[in-house]
Amino acid sequence: MSAARRALVTGASAGLGRAFAEQLAAGGYAVTGIDRDAPGADAPFDHLRCDLADPGAVDTLVGDLAGRGPFGWIVLNAGISATGPFEAIPPEAYARLLAVNTEAPMVLCAGLAAAGALAPGGRLVFVSSLSHFTGYPGAASYGASKDALAVYAKSVRAPFKKAYGVSVSVACPGPLRTDHAARHAPEGADAAKRMPPDEAARRILAGAQKGRAMITPGAGATIFALISRLAPGPVTSAMKRIIYDKLDRSVF
Amino acid sequence: MAEARRRIVVTGGTSGIGLELVRRLADRHDILVAGRRADTDALPVLPEGVRYVHAPLTDPEAATQAIAEAMLKAGWVKLDNLVLNAGTGFAVEGGIESAAQIRETLAVNLTASVLLARALFPWLEKAGGTLTLVGSVAHTGQGLFPAYAASKAGLHGLARALRAEWSGRVAVQIVHPGPTRTEMHAKAGHDPGRLRDIFIPADRMAAMLEGAIAARRSPVTLSFGRYWTGRAAWSGKL
Ligand SMILES: NC(=O)c1ccc[n+]([C@@H]2O[C@H](COP(=O)([O-])OP(=O)(O)OC[C@H]3O[C@@H](n4cnc5c(N)ncnc54)[C@H](OP(=O)(O)O)[C@@H]3O)[C@@H](O)[C@H]2O)c1
Repeated sequence: MSAARRALVTGASAGLGRAFAEQLAAGGYAVTGIDRDAPGADAPFDHLRCDLADPGAVDTLVGDLAGRGPFGWIVLNAGISATGPFEAIPPEAYARLLAVNTEAPMVLCAGLAAAGALAPGGRLVFVSSLSHFTGYPGAASYGASKDALAVYAKSVRAPFKKAYGVSVSVACPGPLRTDHAARHAPEGADAAKRMPPDEAARRILAGAQKGRAMITPGAGATIFALISRLAPGPVTSAMKRIIYDKLDRSVF
Repeated sequence: MAEARRRIVVTGGTSGIGLELVRRLADRHDILVAGRRADTDALPVLPEGVRYVHAPLTDPEAATQAIAEAMLKAGWVKLDNLVLNAGTGFAVEGGIESAAQIRETLAVNLTASVLLARALFPWLEKAGGTLTLVGSVAHTGQGLFPAYAASKAGLHGLARALRAEWSGRVAVQIVHPGPTRTEMHAKAGHDPGRLRDIFIPADRMAAMLEGAIAARRSPVTLSFGRYWTGRAAWSGKL
């Protein structure tokens, strides 16, 4: 692993982010976890509170974090969703979703890079979604936010390697066994088919360590990504049948 | 295949590709242009009869409201075409945009498009209309303007999902132009140098865009492949 033993994880208090923070801490990193909610007293990492939907708070956070760097690992993982027919969800929920999922990680990434808070040889991971390989009817704005983030990661990969010696990866995990997924899945969806967050985090960190540009954790996600690339139209139609047509409620 | 008179909203219709599209359509259709300029700077460049609303997309909520109000004021209860063409970006070194540049790019290109699609859906549905999102061939990634590329990828994803969700009600398409000879690069702080000479002229791009809008297919790439095979000359009409 790299020389700078400091790590940063957003959305660290629960789910996949929690798994990243715990695994990096177990690997000997001093981890700063960003979240709206406190992680609980047993968390093996530092917690900084921030509502990533608030641009002013994100700007303050960049300043605070610059003093805590440089970071050998940065995992920009925080994300929220909004599921339901596109026109049924209130516009405020969309503005908030795009601020948290797309704007905040991009502003954090660019701000920390400009502040010299990326350790040379370090790893920077953006958590997008497996939906990047297909359309996501029933979560159109969520899909858009994650597509934007994935392409931002792809865009900065070459310049960041050159300017800072940092390897940028984008991770596209499929359905996870987290509270987030359970809240947004259609009624009766089988939680056992989803990957436990610990396993997803392990696979993503291993992929980023190897310097991979794109990480689809698990065989299921990899095959889905491949099929979607070959036949995006039919896969989006299937997604519509599997998810959109079964939506029984809007959640945002 | 010229059809009946249509009601069309074009964002960013005050220069470049958007203005050329408006020039092509103004004789045959009712057009409302939305832009960031004050009326006094916008109206002189627009063809006679075209309506204009000052709606800077840097504030997506306020702009959405202004556009909806302008449609009501014009007495429009249906909308045949919504062309979300306005776009902005900043060319940067080393892949680092400032927070302000990232926020402006995302607000204008992505958030405003999401909110406008959401707000104008009922108008489009009444007409069985078409939502056209103007993307870019940069939507797969581009180190010179990362946030711009990201915003266009977001539009691509939005179009894929909405096209499925609204099928049979409102057609949704994403159209990705290739390099086009407009002032956009200069506004972005980028000089393409002599390459600019081979960029596609804005009026030719607008001709291909009109054809793509009429055909309602998605996704569509409008770049050198189509241009060099003469498609600008025999693209369909709206
Ligand atoms: N040119 C290319 O090579 C190229 C390639 C791929 C995709 N595109 C896309 O094509 C579309 C049109 O671009 P273009 O080349 O015609 O560029 P352009 O000449 O700069 O036109 C952009 C339009 O968007 C308007 N606009 C910019 N910021 C705005 C804001 N905050 N609020 C409202 N309107 C705003 C501009 O207003 P003003 O007239 O006041 O500046 C202008 O009308 C954009 O979406 C662009 O991303 C262009």
